[in-house]
Amino acid sequence: MELLLIFFSAAIVNNFVLSYFLGICPFIGVSNKISSAFSMGLATTFVLVLTAIVTWLIYHIILLPYHLDFLQYVAFILVIASLVQFVEMFIKKVSQPLYSALGIFLPLITTNCAILGLALFIVLRDYSFVEGIFFGLGAGVGFTLAITIMAGIREELELADIPEPFRGVPITLIVAGILAMAFMGFSGLITL
Amino acid sequence: MKLVIKMIFTLSFIGIISGALLSELSGWAEPQIAAHRLEDTKNAIFLVQPKADNYKKLDLSDFELYQVSVSDSIIGYALPYSGSGFQGNIRLMIGLDSDLNKITGMRVLEQVETPGLGTKVTENFFTDQFINLSTNPFIDCIKGAKASKDNEIEAITGATISSKAVSRIINDGLIKLRSLKKEGKLG
Amino acid sequence: MKEVTLLTEYTKGVWKNNPIFIQVLGTCPTLAVTVSAINGIAMALATTFVLLFSSIIISSIRKIIPAQVRIASYILIIATFVTIVDLIMKAQFPELSKSLGPYIPLIVVNCIILGRQEAFSSKNGIIRSALDALGMGTGFLIALLILGGIREILGNKTILGFQIMPNMFEPWLIMILPAGAFLTLGLLMAYLNYLVIKKKNREKSQLLAKYRIANNSLPIDEEI
Repeated sequence: MELLLIFFSAAIVNNFVLSYFLGICPFIGVSNKISSAFSMGLATTFVLVLTAIVTWLIYHIILLPYHLDFLQYVAFILVIASLVQFVEMFIKKVSQPLYSALGIFLPLITTNCAILGLALFIVLRDYSFVEGIFFGLGAGVGFTLAITIMAGIREELELADIPEPFRGVPITLIVAGILAMAFMGFSGLITL
Repeated sequence: MKLVIKMIFTLSFIGIISGALLSELSGWAEPQIAAHRLEDTKNAIFLVQPKADNYKKLDLSDFELYQVSVSDSIIGYALPYSGSGFQGNIRLMIGLDSDLNKITGMRVLEQVETPGLGTKVTENFFTDQFINLSTNPFIDCIKGAKASKDNEIEAITGATISSKAVSRIINDGLIKLRSLKKEGKLG
Repeated sequence: MKEVTLLTEYTKGVWKNNPIFIQVLGTCPTLAVTVSAINGIAMALATTFVLLFSSIIISSIRKIIPAQVRIASYILIIATFVTIVDLIMKAQFPELSKSLGPYIPLIVVNCIILGRQEAFSSKNGIIRSALDALGMGTGFLIALLILGGIREILGNKTILGFQIMPNMFEPWLIMILPAGAFLTLGLLMAYLNYLVIKKKNREKSQLLAKYRIANNSLPIDEEI
C-alpha cells in the first residue's frame, strides 16, 4: 500500500515537473510533438528506474559504510552519465528501429535534472531499495504524463493565432503554469 | 593504445585530486555541520520546555528522546518526532510533562507545506494552542468549531490537512512514549 | 575571425546571450528557488562560483584532455566544485542551505555550466573563459533577481525580507507556488520578446524611410 502511495505521489500529487521543476529543459524542448514527447518520457522512465537501483546500491554499499558520504554528487552524476551511455549502446545493439526513434534524446537525459534529483531525493528521504524503485517509476510516469499532455496542447496551439511575443518558449511556460494549477487540484488526494 | 592510457590517466588524475580535495574540505565542514544540528535541537528543546534549564539524551536504541530538568529535578520530556504532512514530511519537537498527561509546548522543526496555508502551522497562534493541552486519551484536532474540551485544538482554516497531520504526528509519538513508559524504559 | 574584445566576452553573457532569457538554459533552478529574492541571489552566486572555477580549470587543461573523455572530465570537475560549494554552505550558512535544499547539488546538471564548457572554455584561453563565466553568471543573477523579486513582492509583500507592499494588499499566493513561477517567467519572456520585436520594427521602418528618401520609392516587396 505504502508503495502505491509513493508511486502516485511522485506521478501526480507531487509531479516531478510541475511541482519540483525537475526535467524542465526537455519539457520545454521536446514537447512539440506527441510522438517524440512520449518516446522521451519512456526513455527517461527507463533511466530513472535504473538510476534508482544503482545509486541506492552505491550509496548503501559503498559510500555510507566507508564514510564517503561527501562523494555523493560526484559518484551519482558519474553513475548517471555511464548508465545513459550503456543504455544507449544497449538499445543500439538490441533494437535498431527503437534506437533511431529515440537516438538523439538519450544523451540529453544525462543533464535532465530529474535523474540526479531522483537520486538525491531517495537519499534525503531515506527510502528503502523497493521504495526507491517505485519512486523512480512514479517520477517517470509523472514526467511522461506531463510532457505528453504538454505536447498535445502544443500541437493544438500550432493552429492557433498566438501573438508574436508569446510564440515559442513564453506560451509553453504559460501553458505549463496552467497545467501546474490543474495538477494542484490533486493535492490532498493522497496523504503520504 | 597510447590514447587509452592517456584517457585513463587523465580521468584518474582528476579523480584523485578531486577526492583528496573533497576529503579535506569534508573534514573541515563536518564538525561545523554537526554543531549546527546540535544547536538546532537544543534551541527547540528549550522552546517547548521553557521552564527547563538542562536536558539529557536518553539512552534508547534508535529512538531519540530527551529528558528535561529544572535544578536537577526532572520535569518532563522533549520528543522530536516526524510524520507525513500534506506535501511532505513534518518534523516536530514536542514537550511533555513527566506523566505524559500534558503538552508543555510544540515547535515545528521542518516542513514543506503549502506556502501561506499549511505553513501557518509554524505560527504562534497555532502552536500556542498546544501549551497545557491535555493528552487524555489523545489530542483531537477539530474543524469548523471552537475547541471546547481540554484535549482539543482548532484546525487552521484552509489548512485542515496540515493541522490534522500535526496532531496525528503528536498522537503517534505519544503511543510510542507510552509503550516505552510501560516497559519501564523512561526511568 | 572577428576580434572580440575582453569586455565583450563578459558583457555578452549579461544581456545579448543571457543564459535564461535568450539561451533558455538552467530553467530548473530558476523556477524553483526564486520564491524570494535572497534565495535567487544565493543560488546565482553559488552557480557563478562553480561556473567560474570550472571554466578556469577546464580552460587550463583543455589541451591535455583527450576528446573522448572530455564530457566525463567536465562532469567530474563540475561535481567537485558543487560539492565544495555545498559543504561550505552547510557549514557556514546553514539557514540558506536549508532553504535552497536539494537545488544546490542540482547545479551539477545545470545546463549553463556544461554548456559553457563545451561551447567556450574548451576552446579559449583562461582569461577569456573566466570573463565568459562571470558574464554568464551575472546574466543569471539578473534573471534570478528579477524573477525572485517579482515573486517575492507580489506573493509575500516583501523584498529581501523588508515589507514593501501596503498592509491591505492581499498577497498573491500563486506567485510562491510552482504555477506562479511558470507564469511569471513566461510573461517576462513574452515582454522581452515584445521589446525586441518593437525595436526590430522600428529599425525596419527607419531603413524603409531612408530607402524611400534615397530612391523615391519603396523596395519591391513592400509596395502595396
